[in-house]
Amino acid sequence: MVKHDIVIIGAGLAGLRAAFEGVTAGLNTAVVSKIHPLRSHSCAAQGGVNAAINPKDDWHHHAYDTVKGADFVGDQDSIDMMCAEAPQAVLDLDKMGCPFSRENDGTIAQRAFGGQNFPRTAYAADRTGHAMLHTLWEQAIKYGVHVYDEYFLMEITSDAGRATGAVVMDIRSGKLQHLQAKAVCVATGGYGRMFAANTNAMTNTGDGIAHAMRAGAPAADLEFVQFHPTGLLRSGILISEGVRGEGAYLIGADGQRFMQKYAPNKLELASRDVVSRSMVTEINNGNGQNGGVFLDVRHLGKALILERLPQIRQLAMDFEGVDPIDQPIPVRPTCHYTMGGIRTDKLGQSIALKGLFAAGEAACVSVHGANRLGANSLLETIVFGKITGKDMVDFVNNREGRDGVATDGSHAVAKVSARIAALKGRPREGGVRQNTIRDTLVNEMQENCSVFRDEARLNQAWAAIQTAKAGLAKLYVDDKSEAFNTDVITALELENLVLMAEGTVATAMERKESRGAHSRTDFPTRDDENWMTHITAGYDHASKGVVLGRDAVRTTGNPQYAPAERKY
Amino acid sequence: MTTSQVSPQTTTLRILRGTVTNGKLVQQTQDFTVPYDATTTVLGALEYVKGELDGSLTFRRSCRASICGSCAMVVNGRSRLACKTKITDLLGGNEGKNIASAEATVGDANVIEVGPQRNQPVLKDLVVDIAPFYQKVKDILPYVQEGPEQEEHVTKDSFSQVNMVSNCIMCGACYSDCTAMVENPSFIGPAALAKAYRFVSDPREGNKTERLKELSEKNGIWDCTRCGMCIDACPKGVAPMEAIVKLRSLAMEAGITNNDGARHAMVFKDDIATWGVLNEPFMLLKTKGILGSIAQIPNALNLAKVGKIPNPFPFDHKVDKLDEVKAIYAELKKNPLDVKTKAADSGPGAG
Ligand SMILES: Cc1cc2nc3c(=O)[nH]c(=O)nc-3n(C[C@H](O)[C@H](O)[C@H](O)COP(=O)(O)OP(=O)(O)OC[C@H]3O[C@@H](n4cnc5c(N)ncnc54)[C@H](O)[C@@H]3O)c2cc1C
Ligand code: SF4
Ligand code: SF4
Ligand code: FES
Repeated sequence: MVKHDIVIIGAGLAGLRAAFEGVTAGLNTAVVSKIHPLRSHSCAAQGGVNAAINPKDDWHHHAYDTVKGADFVGDQDSIDMMCAEAPQAVLDLDKMGCPFSRENDGTIAQRAFGGQNFPRTAYAADRTGHAMLHTLWEQAIKYGVHVYDEYFLMEITSDAGRATGAVVMDIRSGKLQHLQAKAVCVATGGYGRMFAANTNAMTNTGDGIAHAMRAGAPAADLEFVQFHPTGLLRSGILISEGVRGEGAYLIGADGQRFMQKYAPNKLELASRDVVSRSMVTEINNGNGQNGGVFLDVRHLGKALILERLPQIRQLAMDFEGVDPIDQPIPVRPTCHYTMGGIRTDKLGQSIALKGLFAAGEAACVSVHGANRLGANSLLETIVFGKITGKDMVDFVNNREGRDGVATDGSHAVAKVSARIAALKGRPREGGVRQNTIRDTLVNEMQENCSVFRDEARLNQAWAAIQTAKAGLAKLYVDDKSEAFNTDVITALELENLVLMAEGTVATAMERKESRGAHSRTDFPTRDDENWMTHITAGYDHASKGVVLGRDAVRTTGNPQYAPAERKY
Repeated sequence: MTTSQVSPQTTTLRILRGTVTNGKLVQQTQDFTVPYDATTTVLGALEYVKGELDGSLTFRRSCRASICGSCAMVVNGRSRLACKTKITDLLGGNEGKNIASAEATVGDANVIEVGPQRNQPVLKDLVVDIAPFYQKVKDILPYVQEGPEQEEHVTKDSFSQVNMVSNCIMCGACYSDCTAMVENPSFIGPAALAKAYRFVSDPREGNKTERLKELSEKNGIWDCTRCGMCIDACPKGVAPMEAIVKLRSLAMEAGITNNDGARHAMVFKDDIATWGVLNEPFMLLKTKGILGSIAQIPNALNLAKVGKIPNPFPFDHKVDKLDEVKAIYAELKKNPLDVKTKAADSGPGAG
C-alpha cells in the first residue's frame, strides 16, 4: 500500500490542473492515468477556451450565454464562478507558458464560437487543447507530481461514507495496488464512446464515473449528451465549430442553406443542440445524402482555407476523401460531449461521498446543464481543476481530510484480483466476444437514444442494455497473460460503458420533456414546472442496476436567469 | 446496409509480435487477413484483428485522429502513425504517400508489414517502453523557467518559432527512425531537442543561454548526424532536425564553442562553398530531388536558409553536384537563416 495526500484519477487538463494546486500547496499529490498524460483526450480539442478577457466583454454576459445555453438547468452559482474566474484561469495558463495565439498588440487573440454574444474564445492555433495539455504536463514535471503512467483504475475504495483511495492496476505488469489518499479526485473525462458515431478518443469510456457510482457517489445529468453538428460522415472525426465561426455554411442535398428556417438570427452559429436537430430534421425530410448533409466552405476561397483551416482540410481529405476547396464536406451530428458526470457541490466534492471530488468532463458541477456551449469545457477543466484542487487542499489541511484514513486496502485488492481471474477464466465456448457486445450496444444507442428520442425507442435501447449486461456475464478474453493485457482493459472499459449507457437510457426515459440536448418527440416542449431539476443516477449493488433520484438546480435568484424560451 | 453481400477486398497484415518471458524478448511474425476499403487505416485493420480474430494482439491507441501520439509503429519499414496511414496508401505503388520524402520500401504488393518502434525496448507486440524516451524529454527541463533573459512583452509573432515545433505529439516516430540513436543510445534525440528549441525560442524563457550550454554537451545537439530521417518520420511536420540546426546556430552565436561539435563546425565553415561538403541544403536535395523544389516547401526553405551561420556537419562528404550546392549556398547567403522571428508553423503535418 502506498499513501498520498491526494490521488487524482485522470491526467487530462482537469486532473493535471488539480494536481498543480495539490503539489504547489506542498501536499503529496499523485496522478493516475491509463494512458500517458499527453495522450489524454484533452489533446484533441482544437477550437479554444472561453473567457471574457477583452475589456469590452463582460463575464456576466458569458454567464448569461452559459445559463441560456444550458437551457436553464445549469447550476447558476457554479456558472457565475466559472465565468468570473475564466480570465484569470486562462492567464494562469499563459503564465505557465501556454503559447496562446496573439493579437497585434500582444494580447490573447479570441474568436467567435456558437451560442455566444461576443468573440471570447481564446485559442492556440487549431490545437488549443494540445497546447494547454502540454503546458500543464510541463508544470507537473516541474513541481514533481507523482504520475502513475499507464495505471488503470479498478475501484474507488470507501469506508463509512468516506473515500479512502483507489485500487489501480499497473498495466505494464498487471500488478494491483491500493493507493490510499485523504482526498480522491476523479478526472477521467467523458463516455462518448457509447454511440456508434462519436468524435471521442477510444479511451472515453466513463470509467471514473462508473466506479464513483459503484462506490456510492451518484452521477447526474446523464440524459444530456451533446451531438456536435459536424462530425465527418464516415469516421465521426470532428470538424471544429471554428469552421462555422469562419463563415462556413450548412447545405442540404439540394445545395441550399437551411438554417434560416430554424435559427433565423444565429443561423449556422446557433447552439449545438439546435443545429444538430435542424440537420437531422432535414435528413429525415429527404434533404440529406447517405444520412448526412454538407458543410460548405468553398465560398471562403482557397487562400483563406489554406491559411486558417489547414488541419480541417487535411482531415476532410484523409478521412472523407474530399478537398473542401472544391467540394462540400459530408457531415452528420456526432456524439461529442457528455454533460453527465459525478454530481458535486459548487466546489467539486461529491454530494454523497465525503472526500471524493470530481473535475472536468467526469464531473457534474453542472456548468453545462442540458447543453454545453462550445469552448466552455476546456474552461471547465482549468477553472474547476483549480477550484476543486484548492478545495481538496483545504479538505486535507483543515477539514475532515486532516485526520486521514486508516484503511487496509488488501481486502479490496483481493476482490479486484478475483474479478480479473474470473474474467480470464471464462471459457470461449458458449461465451461472447466483447466486440459483439460493444458493436450492438453502440449501434442501438445511436439508433434509439441520440438526437431524437421517444418512449418506444428508449424501450428498445433499454432492452439492448439488458442484453449487453447479460453478455458481460459471458464475456471471455483471448489474452490470459499478466503484462500489458489490453484485452482485459478493454473488457473492463466495456463494463463501465454499459453502466454509463444504462444510466443514460434510464434518465432519458425519466425526463418527460425536451430540454437542451435531450429531445423527446413524444414530449416536445420544455416543462419548467416539473423538470427544472437534475436527475441523479446511483448504482444499486443488490439489483446490479441504476437507481434514480433528484437533486435541485442551484439558483442564485438573479432575475436575468429566469427561464425564457431559447431563440438563436 | 444494403450492400452487405459484396465481398470486400482483403490484404495481409504481417505483424511482428513479441512477448517478454524471463526478461527475454521473443519475436515472431504472424499473418492476418483483413478487409479494407478506401478509408481503412492501419489502426482500423489492427482493431479488426484484435476485435474479431485475436484479442491478445497488443498495441496502443486512443484518439484515432493523429493527435494523441499513441499509435506510432513501424509500417513497411518506416515509423508512422497507424491511425493516419491508410491501407490503400501502402499497396501497390502508393507506398510513399504518407512520407515526406516519397521514398519508401517497396514490399510485397499485398502484404503490409507492421512492427514495434525501433530504438526502444519492446514490452509486448507493438508496445514499446516509452519511459526512456520521456526521461530524455524530462532531462531537458521541459518548462518555461524564470531567469534573467525573460522578456516581458510578447507580440503576435512572438511564438512563431515556438509554433514551429509545438505541433509535436510526442509519438516517438522520429526517435524510432533516428540514425544517431542507433550509434549512441544516450543521444537525447530529435523530439526532446525539438522540445528544447520550443523553450529556447520562447520570449518568456529566462535561461536561454544556460539551456544552450547544456544542450551543447555530450549527447546533445552536436550528436545529431543530420540524416534527415526525423523530418521524414514526423507525422506532424515538426522537422526536428531543423530545430536542432537552429539550436546549433544559436549556441554558436552565443559563443558556446568550447565543444567538439562547434569547433568542427567552425573548421568547416569555409569549406562548404569551396568543396561542397554535405550540408543541410544538400540533405534536402537528397530528399526532395531538385534544387527548384526547395522554394515550394516551407520547412525545406527554412532549413535551407543557412546564411551567415557556420554550417556544421560532423562528417565530410565530397559531393557530386558541387555546382548545385554552391548555387544553393549563394542563395542562402542572400537569405540568412532566421532563428529569431518568423518560422513556418509546423501546421497539420507533412503526410
Ligand atoms: C474532438 C474534440 C474537440 C474538442 N474541442 C473542444 C474545444 O475546442 N473547446 C472545448 O472547450 N472543449 C472541446 N472539447 C471537449 C474537451 O476536450 C473535453 O471535454 C476535455 O478535454 C475533457 O478534459 P478532462 O480533463 O476532463 O478529461 P480527459 O482529457 O478526457 O482526460 C481523462 C483522463 O483520465 C484518464 N483515465 C480515464 N479512465 C481511466 C482509468 N480507468 N484509469 C486511469 N486513468 C483513466 C485518462 O488516461 C486521461 O488522462 C473537444 C472534445 C473533442 C472530442
Ligand atoms: S537528423 Fe539528427 S535527430 Fe534527426 S533522425 Fe537524423 S540523427 Fe536523428
Ligand atoms: S517531432 Fe514529430 S515524430 Fe517526433 S515525437 Fe514529435 S510529432 Fe512525433
Ligand atoms: S491513435 Fe492517437 S495518434 Fe494514432
